[in-house]
Formats: sequence, C-alpha cells, structure tokens
Amino acid sequence: MELGAVLSKGALAGVRVVDFTWVRAGPQSTRIFSMFGAEVVRIEWPMNPDIIRLGSPRYSAAGVTPGLDTNGDFNNFNCNKLSVTLNVRSPSGLDLIKRLIGISDVVIENFSSRVMEDWGLGYEQLRQANPAIIYVSMAGFGHSGPNRDYDTWGPAVQALSGLTFMSGLPGKPSAGWGHSYMDHTGGYYGAMATLAALHYRSRTGQGQYVDLAQVDAGCTLTGAAILDSTVNGRRTDRDGVPSGNRTHWPGTPLTDTYRGRHAAPHNAYRCAGGGRNDWCTIACFTEEEWRALAGAMGSPAWADEPAFATLLQRLEHQEELDRRIQEWTIDLNKYEVMDRLQAAGVPSAPVQSMVDRVENDPQLQHRGAFATQAEHPVIGRRIYEGMPMRLEQAPWAIWRHGPLIGQDNDYVLRDVLGLTAEEVDGNDAEGVFWPRNMVRKETLA
Amino acid sequence: MTAQPASPPQALGDLRVLELSDEKGQLCGKLLADLGADVIKVEPPEGCSTRRIGPFYEDQPDHNRSLYFWHYNTSKRSITLNLDTPGGQQLFRRLARTADIVLESNAPGAMASRGLGYDELSRDNPRLIYCAVTPFGQSGPWRDFKASDLTLMASGGEMGICGYDLVDDPDDTPIAPGGGNAYHIGDHYAFVAILLALYNRDLRGNGEHIDLSIHEAIALCTEGSFPEYVMTGDNRDRQTGRHASALGSPPVQFKCKDGRYANCFIPRITTEEWLRLVEWLDENGVAGDLKDDRLLDPEVLRGEMGRVLDAVRSMCTRLTADELFHGGQQRKLPWTVVRAPSDIVDDPHLRDRGFFVEVEHPELGKRFTYPGAPYIFHGTPWRVRRRAPLLGEDNVAVYHREMGMDLATLNALSETGVV
Repeated sequence: MELGAVLSKGALAGVRVVDFTWVRAGPQSTRIFSMFGAEVVRIEWPMNPDIIRLGSPRYSAAGVTPGLDTNGDFNNFNCNKLSVTLNVRSPSGLDLIKRLIGISDVVIENFSSRVMEDWGLGYEQLRQANPAIIYVSMAGFGHSGPNRDYDTWGPAVQALSGLTFMSGLPGKPSAGWGHSYMDHTGGYYGAMATLAALHYRSRTGQGQYVDLAQVDAGCTLTGAAILDSTVNGRRTDRDGVPSGNRTHWPGTPLTDTYRGRHAAPHNAYRCAGGGRNDWCTIACFTEEEWRALAGAMGSPAWADEPAFATLLQRLEHQEELDRRIQEWTIDLNKYEVMDRLQAAGVPSAPVQSMVDRVENDPQLQHRGAFATQAEHPVIGRRIYEGMPMRLEQAPWAIWRHGPLIGQDNDYVLRDVLGLTAEEVDGNDAEGVFWPRNMVRKETLA
Repeated sequence: MTAQPASPPQALGDLRVLELSDEKGQLCGKLLADLGADVIKVEPPEGCSTRRIGPFYEDQPDHNRSLYFWHYNTSKRSITLNLDTPGGQQLFRRLARTADIVLESNAPGAMASRGLGYDELSRDNPRLIYCAVTPFGQSGPWRDFKASDLTLMASGGEMGICGYDLVDDPDDTPIAPGGGNAYHIGDHYAFVAILLALYNRDLRGNGEHIDLSIHEAIALCTEGSFPEYVMTGDNRDRQTGRHASALGSPPVQFKCKDGRYANCFIPRITTEEWLRLVEWLDENGVAGDLKDDRLLDPEVLRGEMGRVLDAVRSMCTRLTADELFHGGQQRKLPWTVVRAPSDIVDDPHLRDRGFFVEVEHPELGKRFTYPGAPYIFHGTPWRVRRRAPLLGEDNVAVYHREMGMDLATLNALSETGVV
C-alpha cells in the first residue's frame, strides 16, 4: 500500500483515529482529521451501515443500483478516511478492534449513551489497554443527565438550544436553520476536544475522556441572550425578537436583539431576476456608510429627508427606508449591487445559492473551496468541499474519495495489525470481516 | 493571574495568547481561555469596540458593562496598547516574543503595515502560531470588501437556505439566523486550525501562519446543499423550520397548546415505533382511522405520512410543547421543543450536567449565571477562571510584574497614550 506515504504529510501525520462515528456530527469531526493527514479508520459493518451511505437516492450515482458505495453525500463527507469492516459482536472482531485501539491515539464515537460500554469499548474498559488513549463521546444529550437516553438530530438540538428561536420574523413561527447546523458545529467541537486533548497528551503523556453533548455546545451559542436573562431578567421571547434580518424591529421597544450593533439599513433586498436567491444584503453601521449608500443610489432626494437623518430615525422608519432601497436594488443584479456598494465602502453581499457559491463566487474560487476533484470508482470524478483555513506549513489535502465499505481491510489488518494471511482468511471464514449471509461488495460490478 | 493553586490542570494551561480581535475573533479567544490558555486581550486605549455592543448590565452602556463582551471574553486578561505608535509597536514585539499564539482579526495587511505581521514576529519567535481571522482571507478579489455578520451569512450561503415556506412568508425573505453565527462558524474553524498547528508544533517544532476566511467557513457549513448540487445540480430552497429542500418536504414544526412550537420530525419508523405513536395519537383523540392494521406495513405507512402529520399537528394543539418533547422521546422519537434562550436556564438536564456556572463580578459585588462548558473534559476541566476583564485591568500585572517595566515608565506611557 502507498497509504503510509500519503499519510506522512499534514499537521496530524502519525495520528491514528479509531472512528466509530456515523451520520453527520461525528464524521464532521473526523473529516477535519482526515483532511490534515490523520489516519482515520472507520469501523463499519455492512448490516448496520452509516445511514448516509444509504442516503437519498438523489445523491446516488446515476445508472447504478443504490447501495453502500454509491452515495455522493457520504463520498464528500468521508474523503481521505479508511474503512475496515469488523464485526464488533464477534469475539475475534472485538479483539481486533481492541488491538487497533491499543496502537491508536484517539477513539471517537457518536452513539447514544452506553452503546460502547455494552460492547466493552467504553473509556474505562479501554484505558487499561492504552492509558494514553483520547476518547471523545459525542452523544446528543451527553452521557449524564436525566435526558441522556434521548435521541437527537441537528434540528432537534437547534430547537432546544435557542438557535432555532433566534432565526425568523416577528409574529411568525421560527424560520430556524435550513440544515443541521448543530451537526456541523457539534463536529467542530468534537474536533476541538480531540485536538486540545492531544496537545495535553503531548505535554504530559496522559489521555482522557471527553463527554461532548451537542445540546451543551448549542447552548453556548446564544450567550448574550442568556446573560440578558440571567443578569437583567429579560426574557428572550418578547416583542421584536427575533428581528428578521434587522437589528431592531420598528414599533417594538428599542432593546438589544443580539445581532451586534444597532444599524439601519440592515436587511436583504430583492434584486433583478425574480429567483428565490435574487437578493442582496446591505448593512450600514456608520453615518459615513449610510451617506455612501445614498451616494451609490444616485443621491435620491428621499435620503435627505429628516426621517432618515440619524440612526434612531432610520431604525424607526425602516419600513419606508427598506422599501426605498429596494426600489433601487430591484432593477440591478445582486452582484452589481455588491460591486457598486463595495466600491463606495458599504458592507454588502449577495444571497448566494449553492450554485452561486461554486460557479459564481470568485473569492471561493480563489480560495479553492470547491476546487479539488477526486475519482470515485462508482460515482466518478467529483468535486469535494475543502477547508476554510490555510496553514502554510501543513495544508489540508484531499487524496482519496470516501472509502468503499471495507476498502482498507487489507491495509488495516495486515499492515497496521500485522495479521498473517492465514489469520485473515481464518477470520474471514468466520464472518468477522463480512456477514456470511450477505453478498460481498454487491454494488461493485 | 487568578488561577488557584489547587485547581486541576487545564489542557491549554501552558499557552500564552495575544488576542487583537473584535467580534471576528473573540469566540476563538474564549475557547482558548476557558481551556486554560493565558489569553491577553490587547485593546486600544479606548477599549475594544465590542465593549460597546449591547445588551448592557442594567441597560447602562459602559465599556465594562456589556453582557455581549462579558460572554465572549471570560477567562481572558486585558491590557491596553496603542499599536499605531512606535512605542506601542515596540512593546507588542516584546510581548509577541513571549507568546505561543497571536490571534488577530485586523484588515488584511494592517498588522504588516505596522511591522507586526507574521514575517516580522516569527523572526524573533519562530515557534509562533499566528492566526488571522478575516471576512474573506488574506488574498483574492474580495479580500478588501467590507462585511458584517449579516452580509457574511448571505454570501456564505446560510441565508439562501434559511427562511419560510411561501405560505408563511409570501415575501420569501431569506433569513440570517441571529446571534452572531457568522463569527461563530469562523471562530470554530479558527480554533481548530490553531490546535492543528499546535499539535504540529508539539511534534515538529515549527510555527505556523493561519489564514482563516469566515466567508469560506460558512460556505463549507451547509450540509446537504453541497451533495445536492454535486449529484443533481440543484439548489435547495428554504422552508419553515426545517431543512431546505430541492423537492419540498413535509413540515415538522407545530404550534402547541401553550403557544410554543414543537419539532416533531418523524424519521423512517419501525412498526413497533408506529404502534407506540398511533397509541399516543389515540390517547389524545386524534388517531381517527390511522388505527388501521394496513398501516403496520411500513410501505403503506410511508404513503400515509400526510395523514399522520395532520394527526400529529392536531395532537400538538392539545398538549404543551414540553409534553410533546418528553412524550415523543419516551416513544423513541427525536422530538424537541423550540426554546427561547431564556428558557434554557431552567433546564434540569443541563443543570444536572453542571452546565451553568456562577461567575463572580467583584467590581459589582455580585455573581451571575453564565452558560458553561460546551464539552466536559474529565482529565483537564473546562473552567471560567475569571469574568471578562475590565478595560486595562491587567496592565500592571503584565507590563510591570511580568515584563519588568517600572511603574513610572508605565505611567508615562499611559499619559502619552501608548498604553
């Protein structure tokens, strides 16, 4: 195998991660590790696969029966990771997993609480074999507390943590988030926990256990609103909160809406084109920016009216202010609005769709956010999501597609664990590496 | 420092960080500080601009009373330093020789123009990790564009997928979720990047320059939008309170008896789970003809999900949001309640996990409840070591006691506006 050579680069070169995660939050953590050179070994079992492997048929490769190795979502989210199939419910499989953990740096999992303990793979059980192991659990509600057996997914966490509530227009239900924000974010916290523990281990040789709950992490992200409640006794669910895209909803008391500084104009405006994403945002935080906006709009007479002379006046008269501004933006392309306003020194950016971000955004193209391609044996040549941080000494890289299930059995069993061909064959005959009642690699012709 | 000798060690307790950052980098500094790093916030003499962001303690604007600042600056120290003076720049260079990490969110090129960029600072301190958090990154056609939380949520793609069904908002407004999440996303990645560089340094000894783009961070945090595009070429369209979708998907967020909303997503359920749900619907008198043995076939049930959702919607009007939350969870459905941030404080689960922390404010003679740890480190606990610093609170400690500057010199620098 040439894996060893590939894995010798990157900030995490030499770090081996035993990856029991699935769905979104956990794989987000380990994707960060795999993008920076860690050897991330996904422990999989085809009878209970990561449900993303079997996600929507829409993301399955065209012209191929959907199967475990056909999903484009899984492919992107798990690039650079290795896959080994091991039956954790067989004594030999469990023993091999323990041997692997014994020579690894990190164990990370996002099962419901107690699943790993029931397998004999809890932290207390594993630290005896490897006291330096870093073990990160990522259950939705964590591993303590009365709700620890509850189930979550991203939007459920967002709702509980106040993030959903903070998104929307007054007098309407919450708009919330159009994706599993807290799966990404839970994944970031899983990566942080692992990496901080790795640094501590570099200094002291000691591993440790981290109990990360997505709900906890989510509840740290509305801090100013929580403090307004605990310190000032002000409830968040009050008139004017949330305030749409504005910093203040006219006609409601002028309190803080947790959007940062008060500013007006501060909204999204319809632009030419008539599509759902033909909008441009504009935000003026200073008088200078407001005057520059007026100038860019051709210094219309209305902008000089007393109703718009000060920030307080503009906050109060936002309905008219926003209507007037939109009369100007509605005839312009959203990028044209941004270009004109940025030239005048006004913060402004278009609402970009996914297509826009990949095809129409010169900045993301410059950064290479979606520039890397890799060939997948079933799905074909595709682009992948990159990473938003450039490290000069240790850049991220994409060197392989998301693994086919069990693709790296040979490497892990022989090169990493040192099994002989006879041992591999013997275990294979016992169904340790693949269920005996299941056709192997069914999707690979 | 206020560290108590008996305190257990913290994961980042060996690190010194210089933070020159406004709202763009403050969360990253907090994440470092609460895990033990000595984060020194280097502020201009008039104070960091984020001290002027509300809400304020007792609604009285003051640079030491911003609750926004309090939240994002726990466990940090504060010194004042005017980096636009030669004396200030010289002092900063001295400080940077003692630092492991410089975290800054100035406009690209601003630090270099003061002689304080990575190239200059790393010459004297090759192990330095220098992280620049900016809206668009250090290069590229949009590098110098002005941005805010709102505009970054727009360009990064968040707004396009957050909003309403047309029946709920005929204007079809794209919504930027509130609370400063553009900076949260950027800072989560910035902190990860610093820790990656730190581990690399632990093993190989080299310093690092990190160029973090908030715009790019958001653009890489939209979940299914990317595979949707890659595999189908389509955009996802926003819908009320749930995932954006290219084809449309059924609602999940329903108004309850108490006026709050519950999130009642029904995943693909087993026959056993369905029996529990339909029994619950029946207890509440809304099962109607859903109690039909034909629906025990998962295929048939999938075709009837519209009717199931109608029944769930009816049940919501008869129960409180919390009854839906716990009742659903007891039946193994991942249901929750849409809570306002001020609702969270009473959560028994969070309280049992020790989530909330009491933070002393000796300057006010009070203590307040803060949101606590995002993760529970069993070996090296997360901790708020001190409330956010008062402006310049640690000038004497840092300049005099740690750098050895005599107090007369410090006073003179104060009077000339350097400190």
